Amino acid sequence: MSAASALSVSGVSSGYGEAVIVRDVSLAMESGEILALLGKNGMGKSTLLKTIMGFLPVRSGGSIRVFGDTVSGLPPYRVARRAIAYTPQEQALFQDLTVEENLRLGLRDDRTFDAGLARVTKAFAFVGERLAQRAGTLSGGEQKMLLVARALMAAPKLMLIDEITEGLQPSVIERLAGVLRAQRDEFGTAILLVEQNVRFALSVADSFALIKSGEIVDRGRVGDAGAEASIGTHLSV
Amino acid sequence: MSSAGIQGVAGSPAVAGKARSDFRRVIVFSVVALAVIGVAPYVLDTFMVNSLIRGFLYAAVALTVDVLWGYTGVLTFGQSAFFGIGAYAAGLIFTHVGFSLGYAALALAAGVVAAIVVAGIIGWLSFYHGASPLYASVVSLVLPIVLTQVIYTGGEFTGSSSGLSGFESFDVSMELWFWVAGGYLVLLTAGAWLFVRSDAGRILIAIRDNEPRCEYLGINASRVKILLLTAGAVVAAIAGYAFACAQMVVAPEYTGFVFGTELVIWVALGGRGTLLGPVIGTLLIDTSTSYLSGNLPFYWKLIIGLAFVIVIVAIPKGLMPLIGGLFGRRRGEATVEVPTLVEAAATPFAGLEGAGRLAVELKGVRRHYGSLKVLEGIDFSVKRGELLSLVGPNGAGKTTLMRCLSDGYERSGGSIHINDHDAARLPPHRIVGFGIGRKFQTANAFDTLTVAESLRIARTRIAGPAFFSREATLALPKAALQVIRATGLDAVMGVEAKHLSHGMKQALELAMVLSLEPSVLLLDEPTAGLTKPERTMIGTILTDLVRDHGLCILLVEHDLDFVREISSRVIVLHQGRIVLDGTVAEVVESELVRTIYSGGLHAPAKP
Amino acid sequence: MIATLLDIVTSAAILYAVAAGLLIVFGVMKIINFAHGGFLTIGGYSALAVTKLGWNPWASLVFATGIGFVAGMIIERLVVKPLYSRPLDAILATWGLGIIIGQLITIAFGREVQFVQSPMSGAIEFAGASYSSYRLVLVLAATVIGVGIAALLQKTRLGLVTRAVIMNEDLARGLGINSGLVRFFTFSLGAALASLAGALITPLSSVDPNMGVPWLVNAFMLVLVSGVSFMSLLVATVVFGGAQVLVSTYVSPVLGGLTIVVAAAVLMRVRPQGFSRE
Repeated sequence: MSAASALSVSGVSSGYGEAVIVRDVSLAMESGEILALLGKNGMGKSTLLKTIMGFLPVRSGGSIRVFGDTVSGLPPYRVARRAIAYTPQEQALFQDLTVEENLRLGLRDDRTFDAGLARVTKAFAFVGERLAQRAGTLSGGEQKMLLVARALMAAPKLMLIDEITEGLQPSVIERLAGVLRAQRDEFGTAILLVEQNVRFALSVADSFALIKSGEIVDRGRVGDAGAEASIGTHLSV
Repeated sequence: MSSAGIQGVAGSPAVAGKARSDFRRVIVFSVVALAVIGVAPYVLDTFMVNSLIRGFLYAAVALTVDVLWGYTGVLTFGQSAFFGIGAYAAGLIFTHVGFSLGYAALALAAGVVAAIVVAGIIGWLSFYHGASPLYASVVSLVLPIVLTQVIYTGGEFTGSSSGLSGFESFDVSMELWFWVAGGYLVLLTAGAWLFVRSDAGRILIAIRDNEPRCEYLGINASRVKILLLTAGAVVAAIAGYAFACAQMVVAPEYTGFVFGTELVIWVALGGRGTLLGPVIGTLLIDTSTSYLSGNLPFYWKLIIGLAFVIVIVAIPKGLMPLIGGLFGRRRGEATVEVPTLVEAAATPFAGLEGAGRLAVELKGVRRHYGSLKVLEGIDFSVKRGELLSLVGPNGAGKTTLMRCLSDGYERSGGSIHINDHDAARLPPHRIVGFGIGRKFQTANAFDTLTVAESLRIARTRIAGPAFFSREATLALPKAALQVIRATGLDAVMGVEAKHLSHGMKQALELAMVLSLEPSVLLLDEPTAGLTKPERTMIGTILTDLVRDHGLCILLVEHDLDFVREISSRVIVLHQGRIVLDGTVAEVVESELVRTIYSGGLHAPAKP
Repeated sequence: MIATLLDIVTSAAILYAVAAGLLIVFGVMKIINFAHGGFLTIGGYSALAVTKLGWNPWASLVFATGIGFVAGMIIERLVVKPLYSRPLDAILATWGLGIIIGQLITIAFGREVQFVQSPMSGAIEFAGASYSSYRLVLVLAATVIGVGIAALLQKTRLGLVTRAVIMNEDLARGLGINSGLVRFFTFSLGAALASLAGALITPLSSVDPNMGVPWLVNAFMLVLVSGVSFMSLLVATVVFGGAQVLVSTYVSPVLGGLTIVVAAAVLMRVRPQGFSRE
């Protein structure tokens, strides 16, 4: 765990009220790494992301660092300003705002809008053509792509993406996988993917972590011997 | 300094006969207070006696504000209106008809009846299923404004802005009025004290803590609030009547909303939800006002305003708890009072009187949010003795379906029958009457109530609460007792629910729902956040309920292992539609389900 | 007939000007600012101060807006911020603030009714009827306020961020938006708008320390029936303002004064979403 890790979580517990959902989690990832956080529903994946973003307090003892700086204890907006793009699972778009407005909200500085737009339209052409459309009127797949587009607007160094593939058709999932890989290759962005769709996750990720009842039970590289088997036992339906 | 948080937990012995001693304490307190009031007029000067008469009557109204706001959570600015109604009933009849004992009785009756009618209308406006608390406050603000304007338009009849004065009234001494007003206040305070601490009084706190949950426990919260408002209106009208008789003057200010907000200020400063705080606060501020407002006319009101803002921001519980703290903490002791658990006489499960074959029947149920279709064309039925699990990925519509089953307002279309009763457009508390018991995903029943009190709230629909005392026993159905004993809840009956562990909270929720004696149990993620042994235990209890009691259980669950272990049938939802309905084996072996769970399926496949 | 119509337009315009500040605070902070009446009173007395100082009466508009903004900034930090999580208490605390403002003004200016110099007097001929020219100026002012708010919200980065906070505060925070700062600015802007409205309406009547209260109650009802939409607010002010003028003119002025509160309370009971579309 070098100081330059893109994300370093150590000994973090958190939850809602009295309930502890995430238990003593330690996890690190480097720039240019795509890490898939796998686990069944209700095991604490989304809770961990919310804790990293500062929406939930870290229980005593734990700490979270981003590119070497401690962010635990900071409010979400200050965490987000460290070049982190967070894509929550639910209500992640402003449905009543236009596509353009949603994209602008991905930026801290409006002057970089044109440059950002040029970049994301390369990945998702429809975004540029439908800037004035209300986000809520896009199809489910387009909304997910807009989410990723917004996250890419500010050229983030770390992306936290929660269940992006849910309810998507295979062709869209393929495209998203391509876009994320390209982002990693071009900009060295670290990407933490929370996924239930194991097939998708393993097709893009370099490494994986398995979470069960709030604890990390396995961590490894995707190609490793035994990785598939471990994932299989933990996630079997 | 002892820590109050710890001493409440487990192991404290039950204090037998606590209710009795509470009653005795109130009597002792009342006798002392009455004795002081009896002597006071001989000690105090006339000015003080006169302003205390007013203070006593104001404090009686402040008491109603405290019960409504401090205990039940209904912030009201309108109690002044009822005070004014009582006062004007006296003023108008004595001025225009004349004074006699008969007319005095008539005026009192007229004031009380008018207050009841107005309270009924205001209650109907303010408290309906789904009304926001803000709206109720707004209506309470509108009432005194409207009433004041009505008086202004009354011309000579109502005396317009100068009010009515110089009418004849009871020819009695000021001392007697002092005793009447003081006695009224003491009796009200004592009665209110016993009431809010009784089993029935806990319902008010349950409504304040979590009104929707009360609805799902079969309590008609709107009706409770309307009744409470009406009772408060009567108390205030009588105070207003006595005020008009004693002071022989009525004016629009006594109905106005400035007075209404002053009442709230006094209650807030004294300490909301303490009864004694508002009474003492009102007496102190009102008498100081009559002394000081002459010397510091504007500064005094400024000081009150500043004190009010500071108290709201910094010490929201008001000054009473601070003063109480000086006399040592006796509150911790009061919360450990625990009733004895007994088994309730076996009653047929709710709603089964006219029950046919089917416990639950849905036809074409839809739920749309704007253009978003969360549920579409849901048809299925469940028999008694079935344990049906609803599974599917996030956003499949499982929880929405649970909502539709327990609240008639929720669905956009289609029909739902529970034990052959049409759910129509009925609120949750009515549907509970058909036999539904719903356990929520998040365990957050009533923060400030103890385990025993929470369970008693759940029994309200069946057992009916005691109004001025606390029962020494708590009768619960066998199934609820099983859960309580198996999980060790019986050892922590006196602990406030918020101090329980997550697992214990879940168990309490389940015990509460079972206390409703439902025939159809809806469970939303009963095992979320529980440890493995806890899950197993819950699973055993559920299968026992189905086998031994013939319940019908509908379960939403993400833990598919759990589903496999206990279900007799599984329905798979995906994107708002039923994609599979079959046995556990059929679902487990289904390629379709595997595809859905691995995220590969976009639209529901045609079978 | 024309006069009644003009009355409806001006009443709606004044109501809109008063309610706009309340609405924006309600939208962003989800609290009803009961000190809004106090801020309106501050605006009225700012105009009185301008009269007493012998400045140009038009200066009162700028002066009142500035004073209101500063008062809003101070109060947001001291009183409103600690109450974000207790909306009902926020109502009470802002109500207490209203009392404090009223008393401070009483101490400074006296409790009697006073008059402010109107920036313009006289009447103009309009479609065959003669009508107070200042009232027509008010319509213009309300339009400017309305367009100004719309432009601020729709055309600026600040407006975009504010709308984002109104719609989903958590999501906005996750995107790096300091919603606390947005609340701070919004509350101050709301106070400034109330104060400006106070300065605008005083030449029509008079000032007294409680002048804000009836406006507060009416504006409050209009906001509640409007949801958080400025379009709905416009509709609500025209419908209810119109009803108020008609009842005042043809039935009785006292009942006219009650029209908005009663109509709004009943509307909310039968149609809880009020004038908003949903």
